[in-house]
Amino acid sequence: MATLEDFTVKEKPQWCPGCGDYAINMAIKNALAEVGAEPHDTVIVSGVGCSGKMPHYLRSYGFESLHGRVIPPASGIKLANHELNVIGVGGDGDGYGIGMGHFIHIMRRNYDLTYIVHDNQVYGLTTGQTAPTSQRGMKTKSTPYGNIEDPVHPLPIALTMGATYVARGFAGDMKHLTGLIAGAVKHKGFALIDVLQPCVTFNKLNTYQYWQQRCYKLEEQGHDTSSHEKALEKANEDWKTNYEKIPIGLFYKENKPTYESELPQLKTPLVKHETKPVGLEEAMDEFI
Amino acid sequence: MEFTWIIGAEAGAGSMVTGRTLAKVFARGGYHVIGYPEYPSLIRGGHNTYQIRVSDREIHSPVKKNDVVVALNRDGIIFHRDFMNKGGVLIYDSEIDAAGIKMPEGVSVFPVPLKQIIEQNGLDPRMANTVTVGMSLGLLGYPMEDFFKLLDKEFSRKSKEIVDLNIRAAKAGFDYVKNNFKGHFAIKFKPMKSDGKKIVIGGNEAFALGAVAGGAKFFSAYPMTPASSVLHYLAEKERDFNIVVKQTEDELAAVEYAIGASYAGVRAATATSGGGFSLMAESLGLSALSETPVVVFLAQRPGPSTCMPTWTEQGDLRFALHASQGEFLRVLLAPGTVDEEFYLGAEAFNFAEKYQIPVIVLSDKFLSESHFSTREFEPGKVKIERGGIEAKPKALKPMERFGRYKLTRSGISPRTFPGTPNGMHVATSYEHREDSFSCENFEMRVDMVDKRARKQKLLEKEIPLPKVYGKKDAHISIICWGSQMLPALDALPILEAKGIHANVIHFSYLYPLPKKIRALLKSAKNTIMIENNSTAQFAGMLKEFLSFRPNVLALKYDGRQFFPDEVADAVEEASKNKFRRKVMRVVDRGEYEYYNPALYAEVK
Repeated sequence: MATLEDFTVKEKPQWCPGCGDYAINMAIKNALAEVGAEPHDTVIVSGVGCSGKMPHYLRSYGFESLHGRVIPPASGIKLANHELNVIGVGGDGDGYGIGMGHFIHIMRRNYDLTYIVHDNQVYGLTTGQTAPTSQRGMKTKSTPYGNIEDPVHPLPIALTMGATYVARGFAGDMKHLTGLIAGAVKHKGFALIDVLQPCVTFNKLNTYQYWQQRCYKLEEQGHDTSSHEKALEKANEDWKTNYEKIPIGLFYKENKPTYESELPQLKTPLVKHETKPVGLEEAMDEFI
Repeated sequence: MEFTWIIGAEAGAGSMVTGRTLAKVFARGGYHVIGYPEYPSLIRGGHNTYQIRVSDREIHSPVKKNDVVVALNRDGIIFHRDFMNKGGVLIYDSEIDAAGIKMPEGVSVFPVPLKQIIEQNGLDPRMANTVTVGMSLGLLGYPMEDFFKLLDKEFSRKSKEIVDLNIRAAKAGFDYVKNNFKGHFAIKFKPMKSDGKKIVIGGNEAFALGAVAGGAKFFSAYPMTPASSVLHYLAEKERDFNIVVKQTEDELAAVEYAIGASYAGVRAATATSGGGFSLMAESLGLSALSETPVVVFLAQRPGPSTCMPTWTEQGDLRFALHASQGEFLRVLLAPGTVDEEFYLGAEAFNFAEKYQIPVIVLSDKFLSESHFSTREFEPGKVKIERGGIEAKPKALKPMERFGRYKLTRSGISPRTFPGTPNGMHVATSYEHREDSFSCENFEMRVDMVDKRARKQKLLEKEIPLPKVYGKKDAHISIICWGSQMLPALDALPILEAKGIHANVIHFSYLYPLPKKIRALLKSAKNTIMIENNSTAQFAGMLKEFLSFRPNVLALKYDGRQFFPDEVADAVEEASKNKFRRKVMRVVDRGEYEYYNPALYAEVK
């Protein structure tokens, strides 16, 4: 069985010192080892941004796609070989901005894959512009007079769109995050983990301290993860309390057939089908 | 023997399905058949047509003039009356107020009481199409057995009752003509000897079958005319073919699903038209840099932007050649027939996988949506060559990655699929080292650019010379690419009858263009190039890559393909001008408009 070392690469990650991405990287590796995944049966799919570098800092198969395009190739990979652990990794700009269309639609489909969003409320790699999750009033390079847009609320969206595993983690609590990721990988269906991830260079508002003061764990409050209604209530708590109370942990979990399981063609993974085509002769007769 | 028939009706009247069924009747009778739809971008209203051309000799393209016109609406009379052969018959629904419409001369005008026939026979009003097919077969004296069999095949899924009603409708039409047609119609023919193995198929369906024959297991797309029927057809057959077909939220996703599936180890494709292809542009570069094969089927229509969505053009060639930032190798293919849609469609996957590159197959509305009779394709002739895949790579050291982008002499590096032990690497949009780790080292950057470019040398060896149709040493050569070969081939006998001997040089492999092609082009004596665009895009490529310039250019970009007589006329004019350099522009002038028929249907 693979250990943490098996998921480790030689190269040291090149994120800013103190970046929340280190903890996410570590949490993914720990979670993979914990659930008994093998590096060769795992694919990390990323887009572009600081989070986009993730596949290179983790020893497994990886697919570094384009900005905003994490979910589509991850979906294609899963449909071609549903025996793989497929984990999408993206930023809030990637997933809730340029890639928002894909985010909404994947949740209608319930593919068995995990999607981890590094939610740092700012565009980091492009050196500090406003992001879809930037709070009102936040000053950035593109909103020098303060942001006058309301932020995207990913968790209520996920719950409304039918995601079957909805969680929020905090990069300042790696152990807790590891548990959420392990649970997501084991979950049969689409799992979203929105990770509050401080950008130490460009976000001076949402710091480690900011989150630490406000976050509390749902499981410590006896939250019922089978209740969609309660989940939705908790998912709206952050903005409704003007970010005074921010729940983290697993909001909602539901067992529902995966998209793959509803396709009779996928009794065996597509990659294991014979290369030789079937059904052509019969199909051609229909044109006579 | 030759016969041309057209049915014109409002959109939504079902004339396309009926027309296609009739095309199959003649193919079963051993004839060569072309089925050609024209329609506006409307669900109801406007004007739709379906033309069938039948011949006992090989034909390739629709023509402008018809022997029988079936008009189910007023526009049908006005639009098609001027495009009739002498001795033809104009059948129209007598419910149409035809008062004041100037009827064509030299043809029999035959109003038929469709409503009455339908009521008397207890039929559904939607069966008017079937009645008129019965009438048309009646005019020809063509036996109805094959038509009945096809109606059974078409409607038996619905119910026995619908089959019976349609057969009754066809008989009613046939009998009505026998008892009431007093005009003259000289074209009579019967089924020939046939082995019953002739299919009638559209370009999109032929490509879809070719993709499956080529081992494609995954297809993702977003609907867009005129590519949508690839999606419709494969979606209908996905369980029979044991493949996965996915309609995605947009074209950005469609192409990336395919690239993802391809990375995971299956042959994958997407299909779109120009607008969707624009959205896919960035991902072509992802395919190229990550060296993940993908096949993109691009059914062209007029542009730029939404333009004229249901018509045809060859305007996206340069875009396909250059789409996406940066410099990278790609293959452009352009089938000229439904057979090439099938065989080249299959071969596209070999190019994609062996060279780990994006391959673009260019079709257009004309070839994609028209129907052609041909022999059943032979899947057994398709070779599947997947290129270098390592199923059992040697053991990696701890923390080591697989050398996915190894700098090889051919430029082609070994591939591994997820799930393969010791094959771990990152397929990446970032420049990288041999082990796939991101890298901005200047020397490595150059090594990687050169490695990817080097693949072209091997690839070019696999690109065949353009095909020459007709005599090799003809005095005149018509050069064309993709679908425009079809009218060009039909222009040859027209020219021959005038004592002008020409051949056709046809390109279906558009890029890369290896130097070896140059000699063939240089040996052509007098050349005229026909293109379905306004800027002679392929002529530009021939000049750029092969330093070749045709004498005369004939360009058509009004939304339709060339018709055979237009090609013949252009060649004749070029010939009269002794092939002095010239650009000719071909336009179907002042005919009519299907989108706003009322504007053009004023009685003259």
